[in-house]
Amino acid sequence: MDSRFHQELEQLRVTILKMANLTEKAVENAFRALWERDVQLADAIIARDHEIDQLEMEIDRIILRLLALDQPMARDLRFLVGCMRISSDLERIADQAVSIAHRARYLSTRPALPKDPALRDLTETSLDMLHVTLSCFANLNVDQAMDVCLMDDAVDELNLLTLKNLMDYMIHEAPAIERGVQAIITARCMERVADHCTNIAESVVFIVRGVNIKHHCEPFQ
Amino acid sequence: MVDAKIRIRQLSYSYGGAEALREINLDVPANAVTAFFGPSGGGKTTLLRLINRLNDLVEGTRMQGTILLDGENIYAPGVDVPRLRRRVGMVFALPLPLPGTVRENVVCGPRLAGIRDWGRLEEILERSLAQAALWNEVKDRLDDPAVALSGGQQQRLCIARSLALEPEVLLLDEPTSGLDPISTAKVEESLFELKQQYTIVIVPHSVQQAARVADYAAFFLMGDLVEVQEGTRIFTTPQDPRTEDYVTGRFG
Ligand SMILES: Nc1ncnc2c1ncn2[C@@H]1O[C@H](COP(=O)(O)OP(=O)(O)O)[C@@H](O)[C@H]1O
Ligand SMILES: [Mg+2]
Repeated sequence: MDSRFHQELEQLRVTILKMANLTEKAVENAFRALWERDVQLADAIIARDHEIDQLEMEIDRIILRLLALDQPMARDLRFLVGCMRISSDLERIADQAVSIAHRARYLSTRPALPKDPALRDLTETSLDMLHVTLSCFANLNVDQAMDVCLMDDAVDELNLLTLKNLMDYMIHEAPAIERGVQAIITARCMERVADHCTNIAESVVFIVRGVNIKHHCEPFQ
Repeated sequence: MVDAKIRIRQLSYSYGGAEALREINLDVPANAVTAFFGPSGGGKTTLLRLINRLNDLVEGTRMQGTILLDGENIYAPGVDVPRLRRRVGMVFALPLPLPGTVRENVVCGPRLAGIRDWGRLEEILERSLAQAALWNEVKDRLDDPAVALSGGQQQRLCIARSLALEPEVLLLDEPTSGLDPISTAKVEESLFELKQQYTIVIVPHSVQQAARVADYAAFFLMGDLVEVQEGTRIFTTPQDPRTEDYVTGRFG
Protein backbone atom coordinates (compact mmCIF):
# COMPACT_ATOMS: atom_id res chain seq x y z
CA MET A 1 0.00 0.00 0.00
CA ASP A 2 1.35 3.40 -0.86
CA SER A 3 -0.38 5.78 1.56
CA ARG A 4 2.05 7.75 3.70
CA PHE A 5 0.84 5.85 6.75
CA HIS A 6 1.48 2.45 5.22
CA GLN A 7 4.90 3.57 4.00
CA GLU A 8 5.73 4.55 7.57
CA LEU A 9 4.54 1.18 8.85
CA GLU A 10 6.95 -0.44 6.42
CA GLN A 11 9.70 1.89 7.64
CA LEU A 12 8.93 0.80 11.21
CA ARG A 13 9.16 -2.85 10.16
CA VAL A 14 12.56 -2.21 8.60
CA THR A 15 13.80 -0.45 11.76
CA ILE A 16 12.72 -3.34 13.97
CA LEU A 17 14.38 -5.82 11.65
CA LYS A 18 17.57 -3.78 11.99
CA MET A 19 17.26 -3.94 15.77
CA ALA A 20 16.54 -7.67 15.55
CA ASN A 21 19.62 -8.16 13.42
CA LEU A 22 21.88 -6.34 15.90
CA THR A 23 20.37 -8.27 18.80
CA GLU A 24 20.90 -11.58 17.02
CA LYS A 25 24.56 -10.66 16.38
CA ALA A 26 25.02 -9.67 20.04
CA VAL A 27 23.68 -13.01 21.25
CA GLU A 28 25.72 -15.00 18.74
CA ASN A 29 28.85 -13.14 19.74
CA ALA A 30 28.15 -13.52 23.45
CA PHE A 31 27.85 -17.27 23.01
CA ARG A 32 31.05 -17.33 20.97
CA ALA A 33 32.90 -15.22 23.52
CA LEU A 34 31.81 -17.69 26.19
CA TRP A 35 32.84 -20.84 24.38
CA GLU A 36 35.98 -19.47 22.75
CA ARG A 37 37.04 -17.60 25.92
CA ASP A 38 37.37 -14.41 23.88
CA VAL A 39 37.66 -11.36 26.17
CA GLN A 40 37.91 -8.84 23.33
CA LEU A 41 34.73 -10.07 21.71
CA ALA A 42 32.95 -9.87 25.09
CA ASP A 43 34.12 -6.26 25.51
CA ALA A 44 32.89 -5.37 22.03
CA ILE A 45 29.37 -6.61 22.84
CA ILE A 46 29.25 -4.57 26.03
CA ALA A 47 30.50 -1.49 24.18
CA ARG A 48 27.92 -1.72 21.39
CA ASP A 49 24.79 -2.34 23.45
CA HIS A 50 23.83 1.35 23.40
CA GLU A 51 23.16 1.08 19.64
CA ILE A 52 20.34 -1.33 20.38
CA ASP A 53 19.02 0.91 23.16
CA GLN A 54 19.00 3.83 20.72
CA LEU A 55 17.01 1.83 18.19
CA GLU A 56 14.49 0.84 20.84
CA MET A 57 13.90 4.50 21.66
CA GLU A 58 13.60 5.41 18.00
CA ILE A 59 11.04 2.64 17.49
CA ASP A 60 9.03 3.90 20.48
CA ARG A 61 9.00 7.38 18.97
CA ILE A 62 7.82 6.11 15.57
CA ILE A 63 5.06 4.03 17.15
CA LEU A 64 3.81 6.84 19.39
CA ARG A 65 3.71 9.21 16.45
CA LEU A 66 1.78 6.78 14.25
CA LEU A 67 -0.69 6.01 17.05
CA ALA A 68 -1.31 9.69 17.70
CA LEU A 69 -1.47 10.92 14.12
CA ASP A 70 -3.17 8.08 12.33
CA GLN A 71 -5.37 6.39 14.92
CA PRO A 72 -4.84 3.06 13.18
CA MET A 73 -7.36 0.25 13.24
CA ALA A 74 -7.52 -3.52 13.09
CA ARG A 75 -4.38 -5.22 11.76
CA ASP A 76 -2.43 -1.94 11.66
CA LEU A 77 -3.28 -1.27 15.29
CA ARG A 78 -2.31 -4.78 16.29
CA PHE A 79 0.93 -4.43 14.32
CA LEU A 80 1.87 -1.27 16.24
CA VAL A 81 1.01 -2.73 19.63
CA GLY A 82 2.83 -5.96 18.72
CA CYS A 83 5.91 -4.02 17.57
CA MET A 84 5.98 -2.07 20.81
CA ARG A 85 6.15 -5.32 22.76
CA ILE A 86 8.59 -6.94 20.37
CA SER A 87 11.10 -4.10 20.51
CA SER A 88 11.03 -4.23 24.29
CA ASP A 89 11.66 -8.00 24.22
CA LEU A 90 14.53 -7.48 21.78
CA GLU A 91 16.06 -4.91 24.07
CA ARG A 92 15.91 -7.35 26.96
CA ILE A 93 17.42 -10.12 24.88
CA ALA A 94 20.30 -7.77 24.09
CA ASP A 95 20.67 -7.11 27.84
CA GLN A 96 21.02 -10.86 28.38
CA ALA A 97 23.74 -10.88 25.71
CA VAL A 98 25.55 -8.18 27.69
CA SER A 99 25.18 -10.15 30.91
CA ILE A 100 26.54 -13.27 29.22
CA ALA A 101 29.43 -11.18 27.87
CA HIS A 102 30.31 -10.14 31.43
CA ARG A 103 30.31 -13.79 32.60
CA ALA A 104 32.35 -14.78 29.52
CA ARG A 105 34.87 -12.10 30.41
CA TYR A 106 35.23 -13.43 33.94
CA LEU A 107 35.28 -17.11 33.03
CA SER A 108 37.86 -16.57 30.25
CA THR A 109 40.42 -15.36 32.80
CA ARG A 110 39.98 -18.38 35.11
CA PRO A 111 40.68 -22.11 34.68
CA ALA A 112 38.12 -23.68 32.35
CA LEU A 113 35.20 -25.56 33.82
CA PRO A 114 34.68 -29.08 32.46
CA LYS A 115 32.76 -29.07 29.16
CA ASP A 116 29.09 -29.61 29.95
CA PRO A 117 27.05 -31.07 27.06
CA ALA A 118 23.84 -29.73 28.63
CA LEU A 119 25.17 -26.16 28.55
CA ARG A 120 26.31 -26.72 24.96
CA ASP A 121 22.81 -27.92 24.00
CA LEU A 122 21.28 -25.02 25.87
CA THR A 123 23.45 -22.57 23.95
CA GLU A 124 22.55 -24.12 20.62
CA THR A 125 18.86 -24.52 21.29
CA SER A 126 18.38 -20.98 22.57
CA LEU A 127 20.29 -19.62 19.58
CA ASP A 128 18.18 -21.71 17.16
CA MET A 129 15.13 -20.43 18.93
CA LEU A 130 16.23 -16.84 18.43
CA HIS A 131 16.79 -17.47 14.69
CA VAL A 132 13.34 -19.02 14.27
CA THR A 133 11.77 -16.22 16.31
CA LEU A 134 13.25 -13.49 14.16
CA SER A 135 12.24 -15.21 10.96
CA CYS A 136 8.78 -15.71 12.48
CA PHE A 137 8.53 -11.94 12.98
CA ALA A 138 10.13 -10.98 9.65
CA ASN A 139 7.59 -13.09 7.75
CA LEU A 140 4.75 -12.79 10.29
CA ASN A 141 4.65 -16.57 10.15
CA VAL A 142 2.28 -18.03 12.72
CA ASP A 143 3.45 -21.62 12.18
CA GLN A 144 6.94 -20.68 13.30
CA ALA A 145 5.46 -19.02 16.39
CA MET A 146 4.18 -22.45 17.38
CA ASP A 147 7.65 -23.93 16.87
CA VAL A 148 9.15 -21.27 19.14
CA CYS A 149 6.69 -22.03 21.90
CA LEU A 150 7.56 -25.73 21.74
CA MET A 151 11.32 -25.05 21.83
CA ASP A 152 10.88 -23.05 25.00
CA ASP A 153 10.05 -26.25 26.93
CA ALA A 154 13.30 -27.86 25.77
CA VAL A 155 15.27 -24.79 26.89
CA ASP A 156 13.68 -24.88 30.34
CA GLU A 157 14.70 -28.50 30.75
CA LEU A 158 18.25 -27.90 29.55
CA ASN A 159 18.57 -25.01 31.97
CA LEU A 160 17.58 -27.27 34.89
CA LEU A 161 19.95 -30.00 33.72
CA THR A 162 22.84 -27.52 33.46
CA LEU A 163 22.07 -26.27 36.94
CA LYS A 164 22.11 -29.81 38.32
CA ASN A 165 25.39 -30.69 36.57
CA LEU A 166 27.10 -27.55 37.87
CA MET A 167 25.84 -28.09 41.42
CA ASP A 168 27.13 -31.69 41.40
CA TYR A 169 30.48 -30.43 40.21
CA MET A 170 30.69 -27.67 42.83
CA ILE A 171 29.88 -30.09 45.63
CA HIS A 172 33.12 -31.89 44.79
CA GLU A 173 35.20 -28.91 43.68
CA ALA A 174 34.84 -26.15 46.25
CA PRO A 175 37.41 -23.83 44.57
CA ALA A 176 35.23 -23.82 41.45
CA ILE A 177 32.19 -22.42 43.24
CA GLU A 178 32.55 -18.88 41.96
CA ARG A 179 33.01 -20.04 38.39
CA GLY A 180 30.15 -22.45 38.82
CA VAL A 181 27.84 -19.67 39.98
CA GLN A 182 28.83 -17.54 37.01
CA ALA A 183 28.09 -20.44 34.68
CA ILE A 184 24.69 -20.93 36.32
CA ILE A 185 23.90 -17.27 35.76
CA THR A 186 24.97 -17.70 32.14
CA ALA A 187 22.57 -20.60 31.66
CA ARG A 188 19.83 -18.57 33.28
CA CYS A 189 20.52 -15.72 30.79
CA MET A 190 20.09 -18.16 27.94
CA GLU A 191 16.82 -19.28 29.40
CA ARG A 192 15.71 -15.63 29.60
CA VAL A 193 16.60 -15.14 25.93
CA ALA A 194 14.29 -18.05 25.16
CA ASP A 195 11.49 -16.55 27.29
CA HIS A 196 11.66 -13.28 25.39
CA CYS A 197 11.64 -15.25 22.13
CA THR A 198 8.39 -16.85 23.26
CA ASN A 199 6.95 -13.40 24.00
CA ILE A 200 7.90 -12.24 20.51
CA ALA A 201 6.28 -15.29 18.95
CA GLU A 202 3.12 -14.54 20.93
CA SER A 203 3.15 -10.97 19.66
CA VAL A 204 3.39 -12.24 16.09
CA VAL A 205 0.31 -14.42 16.65
CA PHE A 206 -1.46 -11.38 18.10
CA ILE A 207 -0.57 -9.27 15.05
CA VAL A 208 -1.62 -11.87 12.51
CA ARG A 209 -4.61 -13.50 14.18
CA GLY A 210 -5.72 -10.95 16.78
CA VAL A 211 -5.75 -13.60 19.50
CA ASN A 212 -3.86 -13.47 22.74
CA ILE A 213 -2.04 -16.73 23.48
CA LYS A 214 0.03 -15.35 26.35
CA HIS A 215 0.68 -17.73 29.21
CA HIS A 216 -0.81 -20.72 27.40
CA CYS A 217 1.14 -21.91 24.43
CA GLU A 218 -1.57 -24.25 23.19
CA PRO A 219 -2.21 -25.06 19.57
CA PHE A 220 -4.26 -22.24 18.07
CA GLN A 221 -6.29 -21.85 14.88
CA MET B 1 -28.40 -9.68 20.91
CA VAL B 2 -30.63 -8.88 23.83
CA ASP B 3 -33.83 -6.91 23.52
CA ALA B 4 -33.90 -5.76 19.88
CA LYS B 5 -35.82 -2.52 19.47
CA ILE B 6 -35.70 -2.73 15.69
CA ARG B 7 -35.52 -5.91 13.64
CA ILE B 8 -34.67 -5.70 9.97
CA ARG B 9 -35.42 -8.84 7.97
CA GLN B 10 -34.48 -9.67 4.37
CA LEU B 11 -34.63 -6.01 3.46
CA SER B 12 -33.85 -5.11 -0.14
CA TYR B 13 -34.38 -1.71 -1.68
CA SER B 14 -33.81 -0.16 -5.07
CA TYR B 15 -34.11 3.26 -6.66
CA GLY B 16 -35.34 2.58 -10.19
CA GLY B 17 -33.01 -0.11 -11.48
CA ALA B 18 -30.24 0.52 -8.95
CA GLU B 19 -30.12 -1.68 -5.86
CA ALA B 20 -29.22 0.35 -2.77
CA LEU B 21 -29.67 -2.42 -0.16
CA ARG B 22 -29.49 -6.19 -0.59
CA GLU B 23 -31.11 -8.69 1.80
CA ILE B 24 -30.22 -6.90 5.01
CA ASN B 25 -30.81 -8.76 8.28
CA LEU B 26 -29.99 -6.79 11.39
CA ASP B 27 -31.17 -6.34 14.97
CA VAL B 28 -30.78 -2.92 16.57
CA PRO B 29 -30.63 -3.34 20.36
CA ALA B 30 -32.44 -1.01 22.74
CA ASN B 31 -30.47 1.36 24.99
CA ALA B 32 -27.32 1.19 22.95
CA VAL B 33 -25.58 3.08 20.18
CA THR B 34 -25.50 1.18 16.90
CA ALA B 35 -23.27 2.63 14.18
CA PHE B 36 -23.79 2.05 10.45
CA PHE B 37 -20.49 2.79 8.77
CA GLY B 38 -18.76 2.22 5.45
CA PRO B 39 -17.85 4.05 2.23
CA SER B 40 -20.38 6.48 0.81
CA GLY B 41 -22.98 5.00 -1.47
CA GLY B 42 -23.20 1.92 0.76
CA GLY B 43 -26.87 2.45 1.61
CA LYS B 44 -26.56 3.75 5.18
CA THR B 45 -28.67 6.89 4.67
CA THR B 46 -31.22 4.89 2.71
CA LEU B 47 -31.59 2.44 5.58
CA LEU B 48 -31.99 5.23 8.17
CA ARG B 49 -34.65 6.87 5.99
CA LEU B 50 -36.49 3.58 5.62
CA ILE B 51 -36.61 3.20 9.42
CA ASN B 52 -38.78 6.28 9.77
CA ARG B 53 -40.44 6.06 6.36
CA LEU B 54 -38.86 9.20 4.95
CA ASN B 55 -38.57 7.49 1.57
CA ASP B 56 -42.33 6.98 1.17
CA LEU B 57 -42.58 9.82 -1.32
CA VAL B 58 -39.54 8.95 -3.41
CA GLU B 59 -40.87 7.63 -6.72
CA GLY B 60 -39.93 4.54 -8.66
CA THR B 61 -38.51 2.64 -5.69
CA ARG B 62 -39.00 -0.97 -4.73
CA MET B 63 -38.80 -2.46 -1.27
CA GLN B 64 -38.85 -6.07 -0.10
CA GLY B 65 -38.57 -7.47 3.41
CA THR B 66 -39.70 -6.01 6.71
CA ILE B 67 -38.69 -3.56 9.40
CA LEU B 68 -40.18 -4.25 12.84
CA LEU B 69 -40.30 -1.68 15.63
CA ASP B 70 -41.07 -3.40 18.94
CA GLY B 71 -42.15 -6.39 16.88
CA GLU B 72 -44.58 -4.48 14.66
CA ASN B 73 -44.13 -4.00 10.95
CA ILE B 74 -43.79 -0.27 10.33
CA TYR B 75 -44.86 -0.75 6.70
CA ALA B 76 -48.07 -2.60 7.55
CA PRO B 77 -51.23 -1.01 6.11
CA GLY B 78 -52.85 1.41 8.51
CA VAL B 79 -49.65 2.46 10.31
CA ASP B 80 -49.91 6.06 11.55
CA VAL B 81 -46.82 7.55 9.87
CA PRO B 82 -46.71 10.88 11.76
CA ARG B 83 -46.91 8.94 15.01
CA LEU B 84 -44.12 6.62 13.82
CA ARG B 85 -41.94 9.67 13.13
CA ARG B 86 -42.54 10.95 16.64
CA ARG B 87 -41.40 7.60 18.00
CA VAL B 88 -38.40 7.55 15.65
CA GLY B 89 -36.63 10.93 15.50
CA MET B 90 -34.11 11.87 12.83
CA VAL B 91 -31.18 14.32 12.93
CA PHE B 92 -29.45 15.22 9.67
CA ALA B 93 -25.88 16.09 8.76
CA LEU B 94 -26.44 19.82 8.42
CA PRO B 95 -27.99 21.58 11.39
CA LEU B 96 -31.25 23.08 10.19
CA PRO B 97 -32.61 25.29 12.95
CA LEU B 98 -36.06 26.69 12.31
CA PRO B 99 -36.48 30.46 12.12
CA GLY B 100 -37.17 31.79 15.60
CA THR B 101 -35.60 31.60 19.01
CA VAL B 102 -33.83 28.75 20.75
CA ARG B 103 -36.93 28.20 22.89
CA GLU B 104 -39.30 28.16 19.92
CA ASN B 105 -37.14 25.62 18.12
CA VAL B 106 -37.43 23.15 20.96
CA VAL B 107 -41.06 23.62 21.96
CA CYS B 108 -42.66 23.92 18.52
CA GLY B 109 -42.82 20.12 18.12
CA PRO B 110 -44.55 19.41 21.43
CA ARG B 111 -46.84 22.39 20.81
CA LEU B 112 -47.87 21.00 17.43
CA ALA B 113 -48.43 17.69 19.17
CA GLY B 114 -51.04 19.45 21.31
CA ILE B 115 -49.18 20.33 24.50
CA ARG B 116 -50.32 23.79 25.59
CA ASP B 117 -49.44 23.86 29.27
CA TRP B 118 -46.72 26.49 29.72
CA GLY B 119 -45.05 24.80 32.70
CA ARG B 120 -44.98 21.47 30.87
CA LEU B 121 -43.35 23.09 27.83
CA GLU B 122 -40.66 24.72 30.01
CA GLU B 123 -39.97 21.33 31.54
CA ILE B 124 -39.59 19.74 28.11
CA LEU B 125 -37.36 22.64 27.04
CA GLU B 126 -34.92 22.18 29.90
CA ARG B 127 -34.90 18.38 29.77
CA SER B 128 -34.31 18.25 26.02
CA LEU B 129 -31.54 20.84 26.07
CA ALA B 130 -29.88 19.13 29.02
CA GLN B 131 -30.02 15.72 27.32
CA ALA B 132 -28.42 17.22 24.23
CA ALA B 133 -25.62 18.61 26.44
CA LEU B 134 -26.60 22.17 25.52
CA TRP B 135 -28.54 23.53 28.51
CA ASN B 136 -25.60 25.07 30.32
CA GLU B 137 -24.50 26.95 27.23
CA VAL B 138 -27.88 28.38 26.26
CA LYS B 139 -29.91 28.69 29.43
CA ASP B 140 -29.35 32.45 29.39
CA ARG B 141 -29.91 32.76 25.66
CA LEU B 142 -33.25 31.01 25.26
CA ASP B 143 -34.77 34.02 23.53
CA ASP B 144 -31.88 34.59 21.13
CA PRO B 145 -32.41 33.61 17.51
CA ALA B 146 -31.35 29.99 16.95
CA VAL B 147 -29.19 30.98 14.00
CA ALA B 148 -27.03 33.04 16.37
CA LEU B 149 -25.70 29.84 17.96
CA SER B 150 -22.45 28.28 16.80
CA GLY B 151 -22.57 25.35 14.34
CA GLY B 152 -21.95 22.85 17.11
CA GLN B 153 -24.65 24.40 19.28
CA GLN B 154 -27.10 24.43 16.36
CA GLN B 155 -26.53 20.72 15.80
CA ARG B 156 -27.17 19.96 19.47
CA LEU B 157 -30.26 22.18 19.23
CA CYS B 158 -31.52 19.95 16.42
CA ILE B 159 -30.91 16.92 18.62
CA ALA B 160 -32.82 18.66 21.45
CA ARG B 161 -35.65 19.39 19.02
CA SER B 162 -35.93 15.69 18.22
CA LEU B 163 -35.74 14.77 21.91
CA ALA B 164 -38.54 17.21 22.77
CA LEU B 165 -40.95 14.84 21.06
CA GLU B 166 -39.89 12.07 23.44
CA PRO B 167 -38.94 9.60 20.72
CA GLU B 168 -37.96 6.02 21.49
CA VAL B 169 -35.39 5.83 18.73
CA LEU B 170 -33.02 8.53 17.54
CA LEU B 171 -31.50 8.28 14.06
CA LEU B 172 -28.47 10.48 13.40
CA ASP B 173 -27.03 10.78 9.91
CA GLU B 174 -23.45 12.10 10.14
CA PRO B 175 -24.54 14.59 12.81
CA THR B 176 -21.04 15.99 13.35
CA SER B 177 -19.75 16.10 9.80
CA GLY B 178 -19.54 19.89 9.75
CA LEU B 179 -18.47 20.41 13.36
CA ASP B 180 -15.18 21.30 15.02
CA PRO B 181 -13.56 18.69 17.31
CA ILE B 182 -14.85 20.23 20.55
CA SER B 183 -18.46 20.38 19.38
CA THR B 184 -18.06 16.88 18.00
CA ALA B 185 -16.86 15.66 21.39
CA LYS B 186 -19.88 17.27 23.04
CA VAL B 187 -22.32 15.61 20.67
CA GLU B 188 -20.57 12.27 21.22
CA GLU B 189 -20.72 12.74 24.97
CA SER B 190 -24.40 13.44 24.83
CA LEU B 191 -24.85 10.06 23.10
CA PHE B 192 -23.50 8.30 26.18
CA GLU B 193 -26.21 9.99 28.25
CA LEU B 194 -28.95 9.48 25.71
CA LYS B 195 -28.47 5.76 25.26
CA GLN B 196 -29.53 5.16 28.86
CA GLN B 197 -33.00 6.09 27.69
CA TYR B 198 -33.14 5.78 23.91
CA THR B 199 -32.18 3.47 21.11
CA ILE B 200 -29.64 5.27 18.98
CA VAL B 201 -28.56 4.61 15.43
CA ILE B 202 -25.79 6.80 14.07
CA VAL B 203 -24.01 7.05 10.75
CA PRO B 204 -20.67 8.38 12.00
CA HIS B 205 -18.58 10.71 9.89
CA SER B 206 -15.40 8.65 10.30
CA VAL B 207 -14.28 5.17 11.28
CA GLN B 208 -12.64 6.68 14.37
CA GLN B 209 -15.93 8.19 15.47
CA ALA B 210 -17.65 4.85 14.91
CA ALA B 211 -15.05 3.21 17.16
CA ARG B 212 -15.55 5.85 19.86
CA VAL B 213 -19.32 5.77 20.10
CA ALA B 214 -20.53 2.35 18.95
CA ASP B 215 -21.80 -0.39 21.21
CA TYR B 216 -22.62 -2.29 18.03
CA ALA B 217 -21.11 -1.53 14.65
CA ALA B 218 -22.37 -2.64 11.24
CA PHE B 219 -20.22 -2.31 8.14
CA PHE B 220 -22.07 -1.56 4.88
CA LEU B 221 -20.45 -1.90 1.49
CA MET B 222 -22.30 -1.22 -1.78
CA GLY B 223 -25.65 -2.28 -0.44
CA ASP B 224 -24.46 -5.31 1.52
CA LEU B 225 -24.23 -5.61 5.28
CA VAL B 226 -20.80 -7.20 5.48
CA GLU B 227 -20.33 -7.62 9.21
CA VAL B 228 -21.87 -6.64 12.56
CA GLN B 229 -19.99 -6.87 15.83
CA GLU B 230 -20.47 -5.89 19.42
CA GLY B 231 -18.12 -3.38 21.04
CA THR B 232 -14.89 -2.37 19.38
CA ARG B 233 -14.23 -5.82 17.95
CA ILE B 234 -14.88 -4.75 14.37
CA PHE B 235 -12.12 -2.12 14.73
CA THR B 236 -9.51 -4.36 16.38
CA THR B 237 -10.14 -7.81 14.91
CA PRO B 238 -12.62 -7.61 12.04
CA GLN B 239 -13.65 -10.98 10.66
CA ASP B 240 -14.23 -10.08 7.01
CA PRO B 241 -11.25 -9.04 4.85
CA ARG B 242 -13.38 -6.29 3.25
CA THR B 243 -13.98 -4.76 6.69
CA GLU B 244 -10.28 -5.10 7.51
CA ASP B 245 -9.32 -3.29 4.28
CA TYR B 246 -11.76 -0.49 4.96
CA VAL B 247 -10.95 0.18 8.61
CA THR B 248 -7.21 0.13 7.90
CA GLY B 249 -7.71 2.69 5.13
CA ARG B 250 -6.68 0.35 2.33
CA PHE B 251 -9.65 1.51 0.30
CA GLY B 252 -12.65 3.81 0.61
N1 LIG C 1 -33.13 9.65 -3.98
C1 LIG C 1 -32.33 8.81 -4.65
N2 LIG C 1 -32.57 8.49 -5.93
C2 LIG C 1 -31.78 7.62 -6.60
N3 LIG C 1 -30.73 6.99 -6.07
C3 LIG C 1 -30.43 7.25 -4.79
C4 LIG C 1 -31.20 8.17 -4.01
N4 LIG C 1 -30.67 8.22 -2.76
C5 LIG C 1 -29.60 7.38 -2.77
N5 LIG C 1 -29.46 6.79 -3.97
C6 LIG C 1 -28.44 5.79 -4.35
O1 LIG C 1 -28.49 4.71 -3.43
C7 LIG C 1 -27.19 4.27 -3.08
C8 LIG C 1 -27.01 4.35 -1.56
O2 LIG C 1 -26.99 5.71 -1.18
P1 LIG C 1 -27.00 6.16 0.34
O3 LIG C 1 -28.08 5.45 1.04
O4 LIG C 1 -27.05 7.66 0.33
O5 LIG C 1 -25.60 5.64 0.83
P2 LIG C 1 -24.65 6.15 2.03
O6 LIG C 1 -25.50 6.89 3.00
O7 LIG C 1 -24.08 4.88 2.57
O8 LIG C 1 -23.62 7.00 1.39
C9 LIG C 1 -26.23 5.15 -3.84
O9 LIG C 1 -25.83 4.44 -4.99
C10 LIG C 1 -27.04 6.37 -4.20
O10 LIG C 1 -26.62 6.92 -5.42
MG1 LIG D 1 -25.24 8.93 3.71
